[in-house]
Amino acid sequence: MAEEAKQMEVTKEINPHEIMDFLKPKIGARFKMWLNICAHCGLCANTCHYYNASGKDPKMIPAYKVRFIKEILRKKGKVDREYLQKVYDTVYHECNMCRRCTLYCPFGIDIALLISMLRGLLLSQGMAPEGLLRAVENYQEFGNQMAVSKEDWVETIEWCEEEMAEELVGLKIPIDKKGAKIMYTVNAREPKFYPQDIMEVAKIFHLAGEDWTVPSESGWDDTNLAMFCGDVKTARMIVENTFKRAEELEVEKVAVTE
Amino acid sequence: MNFYSFVEGPLLWIAFLSFIIGSLLRAVLFFSVSRKTDKIIYQHFRWKYVLTTFGRWLLPVNKDVAKNPVFWPLAYLFHICLIVVPIWLSGHITLWEESRLEWSWTPIPDGLADWMTLIFLAIAIFFLLRRIFSADIRLLSTFSDYFILVITALPFMTGYFLTHGTLDSIGFFAENMQLIHMLSGELLLILIPFTKLSHFILFFFSRGATAVEFGRREYSV
Repeated sequence: MAEEAKQMEVTKEINPHEIMDFLKPKIGARFKMWLNICAHCGLCANTCHYYNASGKDPKMIPAYKVRFIKEILRKKGKVDREYLQKVYDTVYHECNMCRRCTLYCPFGIDIALLISMLRGLLLSQGMAPEGLLRAVENYQEFGNQMAVSKEDWVETIEWCEEEMAEELVGLKIPIDKKGAKIMYTVNAREPKFYPQDIMEVAKIFHLAGEDWTVPSESGWDDTNLAMFCGDVKTARMIVENTFKRAEELEVEKVAVTE
Repeated sequence: MNFYSFVEGPLLWIAFLSFIIGSLLRAVLFFSVSRKTDKIIYQHFRWKYVLTTFGRWLLPVNKDVAKNPVFWPLAYLFHICLIVVPIWLSGHITLWEESRLEWSWTPIPDGLADWMTLIFLAIAIFFLLRRIFSADIRLLSTFSDYFILVITALPFMTGYFLTHGTLDSIGFFAENMQLIHMLSGELLLILIPFTKLSHFILFFFSRGATAVEFGRREYSV
């Protein structure tokens, strides 16, 4: 279980000021209230699949998993790498932010949001799963998680169109068609590894006679892996790209397939 | 002024004011801070979600009740006794009538109040034992969890001793039970806004906020 968190800069010192600067603006009215009123009633325990699957290990109780926030606040951010590794093991390996505990919490405390904040805190200290880190870099540079350039994306779409046109005469994959009804978005793995998925979809749209389009600029990748490491800024940029494209193309709807 | 008249007079005022002003401050603080930090609540606010969630959780019609058929009836009963006994106890109402406010309302029968007090205390003991003996709850529990449970039960225990003279064979208690009862009640009132007990008001904000967030996604509220 204790897979070491991959670190952006292995030598990076933990900076308590940075931790507190990260936490303070994040802990708004709701978070503060939740940390204050949790009655430790334990009703969230058997709602958690990690708890149930671990033979009811008390350490898996959702309310227990977010104890780190109060501890870090009390220590004013002065924690060591070993401590953060413990946090890492909990927030990445013992919670997948499914929010089921919240459905059964008498106060409706949103544990998943608190866990997400802890993931963001770890990221601020260079700790996140390697795959997510790479994806976040790709989003920032290319606008999609697989580092597909605009040229590659457009070429892939055109190639898909050509391939399918042999099978279905007249099939088109309209790129940047203004005023189309549907803007179609994909998982960036599709142009990279599975272009046949795009072809299949094109077939359906063609036969259904739908008015659809794909954007050429970033916004076509509908995955948001930045969200999973609590990188709210990048997560926001990804969503905003899609909204921007939809507005530019004046489409009625965005089809999100992820 | 001797200690007794201080507890009976000024301290009672302090306790009530602390309770009322402290609770109002909690509410004001939440509203003023959340307007800046939790805009999502206001952007998606719908009374439909908020009122639905209040109804479901104030009444036993939420999905948690079916999942925990022992805990929930006890939790509801605990809270009902906690609210009803101090407000509708005839002995308390008499004091309100004698006070300068001269407020008066219909009391519940004393026999019922006795039973509710005993049920309340029994459930409090159950909660305490559950905290001590359940490995799950013990791990979660902090000092304040034990502390506020005791603080909440104390006025009920001393009230029962006072009305029934249970401990009157011990001279100290025979003389001072009324004082101890008042002090324990005042301590509870003073602490409510500054501890987890503030959930009596924050419950509504917490449930409401999550109902807005979950309701707009069509999750259960």
